[in-house]
Amino acid sequence: MIETPPALAATAGGSLLVLAILLPCAGILLSFALGGRFAERIALGLTPIGLAIALAVSVLVWRSGAPVVTNIAGLPPPLGIALRADGISCVMLVTAALVIAGAALYARASFATPAGVSEARAPLAFWIMLQAIWAALTILFVGGDLFNLYVALELLTFAAVPLVCLAGKPETLVAALRYLLFALFGSVFCLLGAALLYGAYGTLDIVLLAERVRPQPAVWLAAGLMTAGLLAKTALFPLHLWLPPAHAGAPPAASAVLSGLVVKGSFFLTVRLWFSVLPALPGGAAEAALGTLGAAAILFGSVLALRQPRLKLLIAYSTLAQIGYLFLIFPLASGAHPWIADGWGGGIMQTLSHAFAKAAMFMAAGLLAESLGHDRIAEFAGAGRAMPATVFALGLGGLSLMGLPPSGGFAAKWMLLRASVAAGHWVWAVVMLAGGLLAAGYVYRILAPALSDGVVVLKSPPQRSREGVALALALVAVALGFAPQSFFDFLQIGRAAATAALP
Amino acid sequence: MNASTLAGLVGAGLVGLGLYGLIVNPQPLRKILAFNLIGSGVFLMFGIVARRGAAAGFPFDPVPQAMVITGIVVAFAASALSVALILRLYEETGTATLDSDPAAKPPDDGARDT
Amino acid sequence: MTGALGPLLLAATLVLPLLLLTACLSARWHNEALALQWLAPIPAAAAAILAIAGGPFAFDAPALRLSLRLDLPGALLLAVASLLWIVVGAAVFASPGDRPNGRFAVSWLLTMAGSLGVFIAADLITFYLVYALVSIPAYELIVRDRDPSSKRAGAVYMAFAILGEALLLMAFALLAAGEPSGSLRIEDVVAALSTSPWRDGALALLIAGFGMKMALAPLNGWMPLTYTAAPIPAAAVLSGAAVKAGVIGLIRFLPFAAPLPSWGEALAVIGFVSAFYGVAIGITQQNPKTVLAYSSISQMGVIAAVIGMALASGDADATPQIAFAAANHVLVKGALFLAVGVAAATDFRRDRLTLILMVALALSLAGLPFTGGALAKFAVKDPLGDGLAAGLANASAAGSALLMLHFLARLVRTASRGVEAAAPGLTRLWPAIAIGALFTPWLLYLAVGDPRDAASIAKLWDGLWPIMIGAALALGLQRWGKSLPRIPEGDTVVAAEAAFNASLPISAVFESLDARLRRWPVAGLSLLAIALVLAAMAAYGG
Repeated sequence: MIETPPALAATAGGSLLVLAILLPCAGILLSFALGGRFAERIALGLTPIGLAIALAVSVLVWRSGAPVVTNIAGLPPPLGIALRADGISCVMLVTAALVIAGAALYARASFATPAGVSEARAPLAFWIMLQAIWAALTILFVGGDLFNLYVALELLTFAAVPLVCLAGKPETLVAALRYLLFALFGSVFCLLGAALLYGAYGTLDIVLLAERVRPQPAVWLAAGLMTAGLLAKTALFPLHLWLPPAHAGAPPAASAVLSGLVVKGSFFLTVRLWFSVLPALPGGAAEAALGTLGAAAILFGSVLALRQPRLKLLIAYSTLAQIGYLFLIFPLASGAHPWIADGWGGGIMQTLSHAFAKAAMFMAAGLLAESLGHDRIAEFAGAGRAMPATVFALGLGGLSLMGLPPSGGFAAKWMLLRASVAAGHWVWAVVMLAGGLLAAGYVYRILAPALSDGVVVLKSPPQRSREGVALALALVAVALGFAPQSFFDFLQIGRAAATAALP
Repeated sequence: MNASTLAGLVGAGLVGLGLYGLIVNPQPLRKILAFNLIGSGVFLMFGIVARRGAAAGFPFDPVPQAMVITGIVVAFAASALSVALILRLYEETGTATLDSDPAAKPPDDGARDT
Repeated sequence: MTGALGPLLLAATLVLPLLLLTACLSARWHNEALALQWLAPIPAAAAAILAIAGGPFAFDAPALRLSLRLDLPGALLLAVASLLWIVVGAAVFASPGDRPNGRFAVSWLLTMAGSLGVFIAADLITFYLVYALVSIPAYELIVRDRDPSSKRAGAVYMAFAILGEALLLMAFALLAAGEPSGSLRIEDVVAALSTSPWRDGALALLIAGFGMKMALAPLNGWMPLTYTAAPIPAAAVLSGAAVKAGVIGLIRFLPFAAPLPSWGEALAVIGFVSAFYGVAIGITQQNPKTVLAYSSISQMGVIAAVIGMALASGDADATPQIAFAAANHVLVKGALFLAVGVAAATDFRRDRLTLILMVALALSLAGLPFTGGALAKFAVKDPLGDGLAAGLANASAAGSALLMLHFLARLVRTASRGVEAAAPGLTRLWPAIAIGALFTPWLLYLAVGDPRDAASIAKLWDGLWPIMIGAALALGLQRWGKSLPRIPEGDTVVAAEAAFNASLPISAVFESLDARLRRWPVAGLSLLAIALVLAAMAAYGG
């Protein structure tokens, strides 16, 4: 009987992780089987259960102070596959559950199966793809095996692409095709990297790899290939060609999920790769390179957002910029320095607050476009008076993007600033401040016309419940600013184990 | 030169050819073919890994074979999805090319969402 | 009893405006909330009086990341600021007929909450939050009339506000980094500042950020534009109370405990340059509101110079004196802005009292004896010392006299043309407001020193001769004023706007770069290149 080493042993509550994955998968199968309007009901019904499971896992991790681990079929790695939920997995699970719940509630009005038909193409596709994205994200956040994670990443892409072109218009088809092909370009690099790693070490389990990884050509090449592939899926500058038309052309509920969650999935995987698998690689040159690309993304995306005449494209370019902030986690949280706790907390907080804020903004933009019939910013005059709650949600989301207190965006920026000051890396601080100024510029560009006097004719007033969902998500982004220190300690759970693997 | 090295060179060649096709060719269908070519190259890599990682008693390591099979399924699904999109694009516009307008923006009457 | 009352009043200072804000937003309580808006600063006034009479007290709410503390300088400023908000708020909101709309009221309450909160914030995050509150919602107060000039003023104001916030954020990050125990309380970070490795960067950013708020030259361009374009009540509270956020920022964040000669003298130089710059440009302006704006620039320059001298000599006890001088300015400037509207509604030939009060109020900024302004000049004598700084301060008093006489001349001349007239109620009440503004500082001075010291005959001459010189210069201005160049209000901003417009094509460069990067072959090659570069970086280590 082989003794399982303690790092790989299963812990209590591991079945919750399996349940978390099975739930949306079961939803997908049921939706296929029952079809039609049942898909909507199943999706809506499963989201609270999924949220409850995510919260239960978080409570377990919080109580035990260690990641929750389970080995599928009881077989520990390298024979079997492990699922691990550490601090950041839990917060991402909860965030995904909340944003998907919000998107589902918001989408009820636009993707309801019409009365009189048993099934319609777009609604069925939407509800099934939404659950597929949710399933893929769950596996991404708790998966413990790199190949497993690769498959989940593919599932995420395949589920996200149809959402882009759900409306069926030619430009969205082109955008979806470009997204798919570029994402596949990235996937094949990921697969090649996985092959190299397996060839070198005989396993793809994250904890085992962390113990075995040494500086070697195979590892360097694998790191470069996998990271580049993941960057293509996260649309980091300069690999951002697919994101603006895809996120702007998708229906608003889908854009909310795409910008809020889908790009975070591949980012999460990049974080796992560099912080859980590769910390044994010495030096910080690669992390600094990632930070540089992030800084370029911040400046580039913000300036381009300033130039957009249309709201949805502006928000999509703003996503490009905010993704850049995420990549500052690499230079600021790697190695063994006193400031890495701040860098880590800031990066994860940015991920969470951007997910909520961007989802809220896309939903509000969708409401504006529906009620006004267009999304040309210059012609928004008077929209603030006609649709106050919607514009308020837009403003609150913008508050988090600008990094003004009280908001999660400010908390993230503050921690990243402190980390860069402590590290002496002034360049990140200057870039973050410049990004904040530019973000203020494009948020002002959206709000000033909307709040100015004018008379606007609404084609149809927005539904209260949909405004409420957008507002609720924006308020969560603001509430994240009040996260206590214990929240950031929670994010550190599971980190020590990764850095303990350093030789 | 043994079988592994030959397979490795062929795999590298496939990946190189596929990369060339993927980057240079403007037509989506050819990009899909190129992607599949790269995929084949990567699967060959897995095959070599299987051969070299064999434990004492077995002629090959089963895990990479499982990965190859999964990879083939994923590549197949990817190709199917892409071809479906290309067909739909062709039906809608009568042409199937990507680089007609790299900074494609939705038309100016505002993207009406469903 | 006072033990618990003080902290409660502190909390109420922030809570009451926000409560009224929620009431404003609901349809049911909207009108009642608007009518009672002017009562919102009352807890603040009570807290300030309590702190002046008693000692400092604090309020902490760790769950909300909020800590508040009221000490003497903060209390002095809080008292006058809340008084100003009450008076102007009553003028704006008390009459049901002419009440402004909901958006103005919401911005009013938010700016008020920030303006009062800035004097009581005790840790970095709370301070940043209330500073944002006092700066950003004020946009709506400025652009109420929605004409092109007010929109331009609003845009310039926002640009300066956001830039100032960014500089302060960086300063706060440096301050927090220099504090070894990780505390974010202002007293802790400032105590650690003089020995912190980032001292110089933090000081530069603090002076730049707060200097922007106080409109120190050359960052002063926004103030004339804003105060000219804003409606009179908004200009009164912004120039009176909101600008003092910069003053309290310098008072709180500069490390007065240890002398810093180079930084202090630099700040003093900037201050005196602003003081004379404000006078020089102000006398070329025709609109009385613009002249008042330049007068604010000049007065804030003097205060900044006093702060600089106190910093240079390490004089920590000078802060109540400085706060007193700023407090006097709050009252006088607020009353003067209201006077612009009152003058438009008054026939000066019949109403001599109003005219006399206006002259007294205007000259009190130059240190007219027996007014609060004379007390303010007396209060800052010690920090200024006896040398060059004192001489420059006297010269700036003469300059202020010149500028204020010019203001009075413009006020009388343009009174009937175009400026919005004040409501009859305000016009009747204005003399009381003016008398209050002239003499309330005497009450406040009790907390800072002995008023009898300031009231002797020798001080009478000290106060008079700068005014006489200023009056003589004013006569000269009357004679030869026409030949002065016409400088557009907003002076340096005009150049900045031109530079900004010239830099806009850079974003077009970004867009063409984007178009190029988004072509498939370029993106594909970038992907390949990134893979290889990252692999090389991983190999290189670092």
